[in-house]
Amino acid sequence: MYARYVSGRVLQAVLVLWAAYTVTFIVLYLLPSDPVQLLLAAGNVDVTQVSPEQLASLKHQYGLDQPVYVQYFTQLFNFVTGNFGESISKNVPVTQLLSQRLPSTLALGASAVALAIVLGVGTASLAVFARVKWLKVALSRLPSIGVSLPPFFVGLLLIQVFAFQLRWFPATGDKGPQSLVLPSIMMAIPTAALLAQVLTRSLEDALAEPYVVTARAKGLSRSVIQWKHAFRNAALPALTLLGLLLGATLTEAVVAETVFTRNGIGELAQESVLAQDIPVVQAIVVMAAALFVVVNLVIDLIYPLLDPRIVHGQRVT
Amino acid sequence: MSFNPLRLKRRWAVAASVVTIAALTALTGCSGSSSDASSTGDTATPVAGGTLKLAFWDDQQGCIDPNQVYWIESRSIDRQIADSLTDQDPDTGKIVPWLATSWTTNDNATQFTFTLRDGVTFSDGEKFDATAVKTALDATYALGAKSLLGVSYLAGYDSTTVIDPTHVQVNFKTPNAAFLQATSTTTLAILAPKTYQETPEARCAGAIIGSGAFTLDNYTAATSAHLTKRADYAWPSSLVKNEGAAYLDAIDVTYIKEDSVRNGELSSGQIDIAWPRLPISDADQQVLKAAGDTIETRALPGISYVLTSNITGTKPLSDPLVRQALQKAIDRPTYASTVFWADYPVVKSPVESTTPFATDESSLLAFDLDGAKKLLDQAGWAVGPDGYRYKNGQKLTLDEPLTTSGAGDQLLQDQLKQAGIDLTLDVVTTAQYTQKTAAGDYDLVGTYYTRADPSVLGSVFDQALTKAPTAVNSQDAATAATISADFAKGLQTTDDTQRAAAYADLQKTLITAGVTFPLYERLQVSAVSPKVHGFAFTSEAFLRANDIWLEQ
Repeated sequence: MYARYVSGRVLQAVLVLWAAYTVTFIVLYLLPSDPVQLLLAAGNVDVTQVSPEQLASLKHQYGLDQPVYVQYFTQLFNFVTGNFGESISKNVPVTQLLSQRLPSTLALGASAVALAIVLGVGTASLAVFARVKWLKVALSRLPSIGVSLPPFFVGLLLIQVFAFQLRWFPATGDKGPQSLVLPSIMMAIPTAALLAQVLTRSLEDALAEPYVVTARAKGLSRSVIQWKHAFRNAALPALTLLGLLLGATLTEAVVAETVFTRNGIGELAQESVLAQDIPVVQAIVVMAAALFVVVNLVIDLIYPLLDPRIVHGQRVT
Repeated sequence: MSFNPLRLKRRWAVAASVVTIAALTALTGCSGSSSDASSTGDTATPVAGGTLKLAFWDDQQGCIDPNQVYWIESRSIDRQIADSLTDQDPDTGKIVPWLATSWTTNDNATQFTFTLRDGVTFSDGEKFDATAVKTALDATYALGAKSLLGVSYLAGYDSTTVIDPTHVQVNFKTPNAAFLQATSTTTLAILAPKTYQETPEARCAGAIIGSGAFTLDNYTAATSAHLTKRADYAWPSSLVKNEGAAYLDAIDVTYIKEDSVRNGELSSGQIDIAWPRLPISDADQQVLKAAGDTIETRALPGISYVLTSNITGTKPLSDPLVRQALQKAIDRPTYASTVFWADYPVVKSPVESTTPFATDESSLLAFDLDGAKKLLDQAGWAVGPDGYRYKNGQKLTLDEPLTTSGAGDQLLQDQLKQAGIDLTLDVVTTAQYTQKTAAGDYDLVGTYYTRADPSVLGSVFDQALTKAPTAVNSQDAATAATISADFAKGLQTTDDTQRAAAYADLQKTLITAGVTFPLYERLQVSAVSPKVHGFAFTSEAFLRANDIWLEQ
C-alpha cells in the first residue's frame, strides 16, 4: 500500500517537472525580440552595426538559429542529461553558474526555514499553552504583524541597527555563518508568522476535540495531552503550509539576496530575467520546481506517519 | 625678413586656437572633480600600505577583459590592471604619453605611428614591445561584436605594422581621427601576448595579464574582484604624480546594489569608496558628509542624457516648428536642481561638458515657454479645453517608451504639459523597448554614451555610420547630409582647430534641427572616506588609483 502511494507521488513529481520546463520554454519563446539583440542593446550597440555574419555566428553559438521544436527537444534532452547549456549574458556554462551560486542560497534557505520553524512553532505553542492571559493575547497578535511587515523594510532595518549601529553582523556579502543571521531573520519572519497563525488555530481546534476531553477525563497529564495528542493532530495543516512556504523560499531569496548583496540563485534569477538569459532562467525555474516537488513529496511521505488514514483513504492517480 | 600676410594669418589662427583651447580648459576644468585631493593641495606625505575597499552598485555584464567589456564599473577596475598607449588629460582633453612616448599621424588620419616606451613588462614578465601592440590590436579587432566598443573605436581598421621593437604603425582603410583618443581607453589597452591565446570567454572571466600598477588576483562576476600592487611598476601615465609602485597594497572590489546599504557601509567605515552609477541623492550626501566623507564628481564625457526625435511619417515631430517648440518647452535648470540638487550642472550641449570640443549651447537650449506656445500656435496646434493642444481633432501626444520611469520623467511630463504637449511615458520591458525603437514606434527615446571624444556622437546620429533608429528616424535628408559631412570633417583631420569647428557646427545642428533634446548631464558621483587621499578620476570618469594612499 505504502509502496504504491510512493510510486504514484514520484510519478506526479516527474510530470510536474516536465510541465514546468515546457511552460517556461513556451513563455520565454513567446516573448518578443531575441536575446542576442538584447545583448547588443545592453552594450549600447544597435544590431545594424554588427555584420550579418557576426550576428549569425552569435545566434548559432546559442542555438537560436534552429527551429523552435528542435530547440525544445534538444534542450529537454540536455536537461535530462544534466547539461543546462551556456549563459547568454555571462558567457559561462549554466551548471558552473548554478554550482557557484547554489550553496549560498541553500545555506540561507535552510537557516531561514529552521529559524521559521522554531519561531513559528514556539510562538504558536506559547500562545496556546501559556497560562498568563496578557501574554497569550500578545502572542496571538504577533503573527499578523509579522505577515504584514514588508520584508525589504525589515531587512534594511536589521542592517541599520545590527550592522551599522551595533556592528554585530556584516551587512553584505557571504562571509561565513555570521552573514546568514540577518537575512535569515528577514526571510524567517513572514514564514514563521504564517506558520504560527495556522498552528495556533489548529492547536486550539484540537484542544476542543472530544478526544482531548476524554483524555483529560482519563486523568492524562497536561503535557501529554498537549504534546502527544493535540500537537500531533494539529501538525498536519502546518506541515502542508510549510511545504508551500519552502517552495516559496526562492522568491523570498530574491529580495533577501538583493538587500544583503548575497550572490545566490535568487539574485541570479532576477538578473537573468532582466537580461532575458533564456538558458539560465530555464534552469532556475526547473530547479525551483524540483525543489518544490521534492519538498512536497517528502511531506506527502511524512503524512502517513502522522496519520495512517491518508494512505488508506485516498486514491492516488 | 619680409612681411608675409599669409604668415600673419596663420599666426592669428594659432592664437585663435590657443584661445579656444584655453576656453575649453576653463570650461572642463570648472565642471571637473570638485574636491580632487591632488588639485586642492593635499600636502600630507603619502604612506604605503593598506587595502582600498571599493563598492560598485552592480556588474551586469559579468566580464573583466578590458578589450571586451563595456560596463563602465569594470573599466574602472581595468584601468588599474591594464595600461594603454596614451592617456587623456581630464582637464584639457589632450592626449598625453603613456606606453607610447610620442606619435605621429598623417594628415587624413589613416596612419598612426607610435614610439614605444622601453623597459615596460607585463606582470608575467613578458616584455612590452611593438609585437605586443600588434597582437593586442589585431586580437581586439578580431573580437568583432564581442567587443562592442572596440567595433567603433577600431572602425576602418586595416592592419598594424611592426617597424622595430619600439616603433609600430597602425593603418586604417578609412580616416579615423578619433583613434588617437581610442588608444587612451581601456578598450584598447595592451595586454600581454599570452593573454590572447586564451578564449574570449576565459578572458572575460579573468584570464588577463596587463602591465598595470595592479594585477588581477581573482574576479568573480557580480561578486568580487581582488587586485594586488606590482612592486616593480615604474611606467605610469604622465598624468600620475607617483612614478613608482602604487601606495596601496591591494584593492578589494565588491558590488552592493542597495543605495542605502552601500552608503551605510561607507559611513560605518566598512568600505572606503562608494561608487554608484546614478548620482547619490542630496539627502544621502548630507548624511555622508556629516560622517566626514567627501563627494567627488565628474561629468561622464560623451553624449549627455538626451532625448532623440522620431520625425518620420505624420508624427507630430515631423514638423520643425513642433521640434523647436519642444526644445524651448524644456526647463533644464529646474530639471537639474529638482531631480538632482541645487548646484547640479545644467546640460549645455548634446555632449557633456567634459568631452573635448564641447561647446556651450545654453542660449539655444534656454527655457522659453511663451516662445514654445507661439511656435505651436503657428504650427496649427490650438489649446483645447483640457489644456492640451489639438489639430484636426488629434491631440499633441508624444510617446516615449522607457524601461523604468522616475521622478525626472514625470517632471518633464509636467513641464511639457505647460506648453500643451502630452508626453506619454510608456513603461515597457527591455525586450519590448528594443522592439518598439527598432520599429520606429515612438516619438522620443532617451540615450547616452560614455566616451571622451565627440566622435562618439557618430555612432548614435550619423546615418553614414549607423542604421540605428536614433540616426535614421531623427533627421530629414538635408539634415542628415549636413551631419554626415560634419562627422566626416571631424574624423578626417587631426588638426584640432578644424576638428573643433566641425564639432561645434555639429552640436548646433543637432539642437536647431531638433534631432536631439539634451535633458541633463550625467554626473559620476562617488563618496570617499576621509581616510582616502589622492583620489583621482580619469578623463572618462573612471578611477585612477596610482596616487591613492590610505591614512593608517
